[in-house]
Amino acid sequence: MVVVIPAEPRTLFPPRATGTQELAVVASVFDRLAEIGPELATVSDVGFSPRLAERWSWAADSLSIAFTINSNARWHDGVPVRAEDVRYTFNVYTSDAVASEARALLGNIDSVSVRDSLTAVVWFKRRTPQQFMEATYSMFILPSHLLSPLADSALVNAPFGRAPIGSGRFRFAAWDAGSRLEIVADTTNYRKRAVLDRVIWTFVADLGAATVKLFAGEADFLEQVRPEAITQVLATPALRLEGNLPLVYGFVGFNLHAPGATATPHPVFGDVRVRRALAMAVDRHRMVRSVLDSMGMVAFGPAPRALIPDTSGLRAIGYSVAAAKALLDSAQWVDTNNDGIREHDGTALAFDLLVPSSSATRGKFATLLQAAWKEIGANVSLLSQDPSALGPRLEAHDFDAYMGGWQANPGLQGTRQTWASKGTSNYQAYVSPTFDALLDSALTSFDMEKTRGLWTRVLQQAIDDAPSVWLYEQRLPVAVHKRLRIPSLRADGWYASLADWSVDPAQRIDRDKIGLGVAR
Amino acid sequence: MGEAASQGVVARLISRAVQSVFVVFVAASLTFLLLQLAPGDPISAIADASNVPTEVRAQWRAQQGFDQPVATQYVRWIGNVARGQLGHSTSQQRPVRAVIADRLPNTLLLMGLALGASLLFGASLGAWQATRTGSAADRAVSFTSLVLYSVPEFWFALMLLFVFSYWIPVLPATGMIDVAMHGSMSSGARLWDRLRHLVLPWTALTVMGTAIFARYQRVAMRDALSEQFVRTARAKGLTTWSVYWHAFRTALLPTITLAGLFFPALLTGAVFVERVFGWPGMGSALLTAINSRDYALVSASVIVGSAMTALGSLFADVLRALADPRLRRV
Repeated sequence: MVVVIPAEPRTLFPPRATGTQELAVVASVFDRLAEIGPELATVSDVGFSPRLAERWSWAADSLSIAFTINSNARWHDGVPVRAEDVRYTFNVYTSDAVASEARALLGNIDSVSVRDSLTAVVWFKRRTPQQFMEATYSMFILPSHLLSPLADSALVNAPFGRAPIGSGRFRFAAWDAGSRLEIVADTTNYRKRAVLDRVIWTFVADLGAATVKLFAGEADFLEQVRPEAITQVLATPALRLEGNLPLVYGFVGFNLHAPGATATPHPVFGDVRVRRALAMAVDRHRMVRSVLDSMGMVAFGPAPRALIPDTSGLRAIGYSVAAAKALLDSAQWVDTNNDGIREHDGTALAFDLLVPSSSATRGKFATLLQAAWKEIGANVSLLSQDPSALGPRLEAHDFDAYMGGWQANPGLQGTRQTWASKGTSNYQAYVSPTFDALLDSALTSFDMEKTRGLWTRVLQQAIDDAPSVWLYEQRLPVAVHKRLRIPSLRADGWYASLADWSVDPAQRIDRDKIGLGVAR
Repeated sequence: MGEAASQGVVARLISRAVQSVFVVFVAASLTFLLLQLAPGDPISAIADASNVPTEVRAQWRAQQGFDQPVATQYVRWIGNVARGQLGHSTSQQRPVRAVIADRLPNTLLLMGLALGASLLFGASLGAWQATRTGSAADRAVSFTSLVLYSVPEFWFALMLLFVFSYWIPVLPATGMIDVAMHGSMSSGARLWDRLRHLVLPWTALTVMGTAIFARYQRVAMRDALSEQFVRTARAKGLTTWSVYWHAFRTALLPTITLAGLFFPALLTGAVFVERVFGWPGMGSALLTAINSRDYALVSASVIVGSAMTALGSLFADVLRALADPRLRRV
């Protein structure tokens, strides 16, 4: 199978793999201790299935879990996988020198010890409903016999990152810089070989050219199908679309502090009534239809619907231009000089909206928002920003409003980072002790029913406080060649079940008949 | 050529080489400083779309030294460059030298073939036009070359791609090889595979290059044909083809100069052409590096580009000296 992607991976060293193009390869070549289920349930070990760990046992106090490594598991160089690899992996993922993104999700793990050569014990600081996920989902197990001779500071740039050796059902085969990256089925794998012989990633920066490559039959899988190309894919006999609803949501975020001054409320967004009025003025259903058509859905709040336990109790801020105007009037934002823009205490209802130049979708939403807010007397200036310039401005809270998007992870643990008062990515400086307390309760409650209710209250609190207008969730169907048989795509990564994909024997083409190729 | 003349040429070449080193140094330094002035840094460019926590970004910055003052970063960088160490690419997570070693040959292959063909076709076409100035054929070719000269390379490359890979699918769309089949092909089939993949990017660069060279060569040849020596040659009874040959040699001088200047321009042209055709060369690497604020790789690319400019100019000087004996005199 040939996958065409717009950007070449930077590294295949798992602790530093961040983008989809990197994780797709890493998740195929490396294994976790256990794998999350298709429902992405994260409470206790419900739904998880064995991977490198063939079984596990909880301590009586639930403060440790002993994982028993499958004795048949081998690294792709033939060396057996051992408990020491688990201990080493944890140390690498939490090392300052490695600075893994996943480190933030491992804060509850105190240490990993080795009971015997096949038993690794993960020790936790406190009991949480998600501690099993913390021990398994965030780490791909690394081969200590290959990496431990290196200093941690040398790991990130070590050759291993371009020619990794893992224990997954695919093994790394080749990476020709700028051209292709190939993995092949590991024929002696302890979990049986991958069904496909080979998966090859090819890199084409221009999305139009990548699409042509797919239509020309040179590629079998394209993750990023342009909305305008969808009809064409459907009309192409050799191709089909597969549903894919990633855990991503888009929003417009308001800076609740004056730009660059965290002690002073923002002159416009410091007032919750103004924020709610701005939310009321936005017909989100119509906007989503205009921009994304059937490929989008209105977002509920600061979490994708796939991860919200119960959406039925959520009350959105309803669309009503009249109510928005009335709310602004009551907050004494009025147009005193008849220029169409409201003022309050000499401050105009005007602000800049930062839009990442890399996202056409967010750009379209921004234009529609500008028009909607003009109708209620707000003057919005759109500022297109290169992503690398936008990031530092957000980190410094140096903005009025921005078009944002977050990718959530199972269990919604990242909500603390993005929306809680002390969250390092809470660029809007949204501070609500109630939200924080509810979030903390939702993330630590063991009572499933109670957790559902708590999540509803968490999200409702954010909706009512309106630090953002949550706009859309985007369906991102992938284009696949019809001869490929694939299970349903998991929301946290289309590649999760790649080793189980197959080719219809009756429709095999030349490139399916090569076998394992040079890596045989 | 006498000894004094030879020494003069050598001295001039040495002088030009020294100037070139200075030009490369200034260009690279300016690039480094301009990149630093632009908002953002390599870490913000890498991490914007992901959920990398701010403190992790800070650690990454510290590891790479991006949290240091610009002056400190510049001194460290220029010191490393002087020792031949071009640094580490943040967009490719490997030494810049390895990136250049992988990519430059691919670009030089494409550029070299395109430049050679452009020069050959353009000079011939321009000379042919000059011999029939004002004719319908001359006007048609001039119009066509003007259109091609004006068309953006990016658009032209995309059109080629759509026409020959999608509407009439006779050529591969992107890349240097068939990524799935190449490894299992025979030697002959591999060569054929490479040639097929070369056709579209080579055509994109060559057609546009030919249009430019043809326009210059036409004017130069037309001027040459009105020179005294041509009239003298005709008066002496030389055949038409001999006369044209003498005029052609004279008219080649400005075209050679253009070829020298065109050499680095093909690198910039290759940026877009490589992007469209997924050609794994310096151009596509440079574009990714710019988007990723990959200081080390962009700066190194500028060093390569300015070195190519200097070399191209030097090469043109040598060729002109060979073509025109007057230029060899001190």
